[in-house]
Amino acid sequence: MPPILGIDLGTTNSLAAYMTPAGPRIVRDAAGNALVPSVIAFASGVTVGSGARAHAVENPLRTVYSVKRLMGKGIDDIHDDLKYLAYPVTSGRGGIVCVNVDGREMTPQELSAIILREVKSRAEAALGETITQAVITVPAYFDDSQRQATRDAGRIAGLDVRRIVNEPTAAALAYGLDRKDDATIAVYDLGGGTFDVSILRVAGGVFQVLSTDGDTHLGGDDLDMELMDLIIGEIRKRFGAGLEFPPATRQALRNFAEATKIRLSTEDRATVEVDLGGGRRFERVITRAEFEARAGQWIDRTLGHCRAALAAAGVKPSQIDQVVMVGGCTRIPLVLAKVGDFFGRTPYTAINPDEVVALGAAVQAGILAGLQRDTLLLDVTPLSLGIETLGGAMGKLIMRNSTVPCQAGETFTTYVDGQTSVDIHVLQGERELARDCRSLGRFQLKGIPAMPAGMPRIQVAFLIDANGILNVSARELRSGKAAAVQITPAHGLTREEVTAMVKDSYVHAVEDLTAHRMIDLRNEAHRVLAAIDKALAGAPGVLTAPQRAALDAAVADVKARMEGTEPDDLYAAMRAANDAAAPLTQAQMDEVLRKTAVGKKIDEF
Amino acid sequence: MIEENSMDETDRQAPLVKCRLCSKPMAEVLVCDYCHSLNPDAATMDHFTLLGLPRQFDLDEETIRAKFLALNREAHPDFHMDQSDEVQLLAMQMSSAINNAYRALREPASRAAYMLELLGGKSSADDKSVPEGFLSTILMLQEALAEAKAGGDQAELERMGAVLRTQHDGLLHRIAGLFGELEEAAACPAVRQDLLSELRRQINAVSYVKKLLSQVN
Repeated sequence: MPPILGIDLGTTNSLAAYMTPAGPRIVRDAAGNALVPSVIAFASGVTVGSGARAHAVENPLRTVYSVKRLMGKGIDDIHDDLKYLAYPVTSGRGGIVCVNVDGREMTPQELSAIILREVKSRAEAALGETITQAVITVPAYFDDSQRQATRDAGRIAGLDVRRIVNEPTAAALAYGLDRKDDATIAVYDLGGGTFDVSILRVAGGVFQVLSTDGDTHLGGDDLDMELMDLIIGEIRKRFGAGLEFPPATRQALRNFAEATKIRLSTEDRATVEVDLGGGRRFERVITRAEFEARAGQWIDRTLGHCRAALAAAGVKPSQIDQVVMVGGCTRIPLVLAKVGDFFGRTPYTAINPDEVVALGAAVQAGILAGLQRDTLLLDVTPLSLGIETLGGAMGKLIMRNSTVPCQAGETFTTYVDGQTSVDIHVLQGERELARDCRSLGRFQLKGIPAMPAGMPRIQVAFLIDANGILNVSARELRSGKAAAVQITPAHGLTREEVTAMVKDSYVHAVEDLTAHRMIDLRNEAHRVLAAIDKALAGAPGVLTAPQRAALDAAVADVKARMEGTEPDDLYAAMRAANDAAAPLTQAQMDEVLRKTAVGKKIDEF
Repeated sequence: MIEENSMDETDRQAPLVKCRLCSKPMAEVLVCDYCHSLNPDAATMDHFTLLGLPRQFDLDEETIRAKFLALNREAHPDFHMDQSDEVQLLAMQMSSAINNAYRALREPASRAAYMLELLGGKSSADDKSVPEGFLSTILMLQEALAEAKAGGDQAELERMGAVLRTQHDGLLHRIAGLFGELEEAAACPAVRQDLLSELRRQINAVSYVKKLLSQVN
């Protein structure tokens, strides 16, 4: 039976792992790469990963990144992000965020599905098996809409999503799998777009999350934006305040900012060079101190969340036995220093912060497959769940940091004689007023038997499952009749929409198209290789030793790419091989010409 | 008398629980010894019965946690993924019941409130009164806390924290005493009623103190 794939669907990078009897293993390609950049380029076809990343500067309007920030969000929620996104974002049905590429509107769910499908196919290539089931990780602080959006993305990608698991919890699973001692640990997870902190008690195979806190809009992207602001500000000062940046320049700046951030983790200074066109060049050395001056406020914000998580768990910083660092941003020296100061101990950095979440997802997949019967994972819901009460207040039914699954009941009645339906507005958040909380949607209870006002007693059960996703069921107590619950999600897809997307998936079309192109290119590659062989045999000794070595390498590359699934890569390799064979074909041509000429002469004479 | 009665009832009832699938009596309340199926009645049991704990205020937190973990090892949905939808739903309901029970019993203050509810005392919504003199104390503490917070006085905040914790522990001690008296007064309904009311006031007071404590942190 093929394994359940554990997938870390990240803001910046995605990757997968699977469980083996010897422990979790990361999926790697032939070159040993695990990370698939979460970037999609819509050019001649659809490219995902590093290929798409390379496209971003030349094709900014058709290169989509950081989709995770848009998951389960309404257009009003992401106002601050818009100025930093080079690709066009529009408002779809009911205010749901859509990305518009060449007039085609795509939901974040569909876009994430494209990334998931890429991760899945890489795993299939590595394992030689068809993958149908997955565990997908999400930030612990993701709300119900964001979790549902992630699950829907999995479904659209053709995966049976067995579990949505919290990233810091997954990290703890990977970290503490073989530890027998009783320890209280903090997982500090600063990713590309989100921040989470979870406090867990780990002992002898039990992983109990005590509390979690975080911000789904705080991550490495924000640090990149700080550097972008710095660069843009200075460019405007030098070349004019009114200077506008076309999308391609904006994208280039974004790449510079990210590269600078990464370089400043190991070096004291990094140089930024921007060609603004028209002979205008901008060059600037950015020091680590400058970066830290701007990054500090963001890191301090994460520490505020750490403080809140500790208080909720009833644990003092000194009682934390280990601080496990997760996410690429925890490589930043200032992050390590500040977190170390806060907890009063050196953070644990021995596991690769990019891979630990995927490994943990694989462990969870192992538990679900029955391979880890001795491991018990108890997670919590990050946000309180409630309903809007009279006067617009938030009436809490399930408190945040409750162990999931958990259930709460509430009884409703009618206000008008003969009323047969009741509307319930379900909310998530900690604020007192309904309008300050996140709306999960409106639930309509239908099919209530007609009775005088106040007579029906509708018992509604709100159940948060182990995925952290809400399930609502209702029953009229007097008649014992189950009431139908109709859900209108605030920022999600309806069940019907997901089904339609699965059925008529653009992703399927993309895959079909890619597969088709791959077959055509493979056939052509066979012809190219045969032609080169023939030319080599027909004209021995034409190539110099270095030319011959280059050709051999190019041919080997073509052969390797033929085994792969990336048509663009294969095409590039074929062109390279043709170029390397150019002296050979030239010699062949000369030979043909010479023979023809000789022949003619013979004929003439 | 009442709590004694309920204890007896629990003891008598436990062996009578039968597995719905194989009809064998269930020695454990949660899982059938014979066919290993989950007991659907567990989700509607009171928190003490469900966790297999004696119905008393004086319980050790680690003991409660051990029960909570042991039962989740049987009931958690993770371990029933390959079973029918019905069993999966049952596992989810049972696991939520265990989690709710643990949440209600883990902390002494909420455990006291839950016991009071089982004993027929008024809810905090119906009776918001606090012990005599408590309100002026809490108002004073509240003011001092606000002042210390506004002034950013860390030492004063820590001192306030210590004062509040002492208050908290004192109230819990008093509550434990009241539950003891309640057992002795079982035969006298009037005394019993007074004790229940006093318990309500003390438990209300703890909630005030806890709220202030959360502001210190």
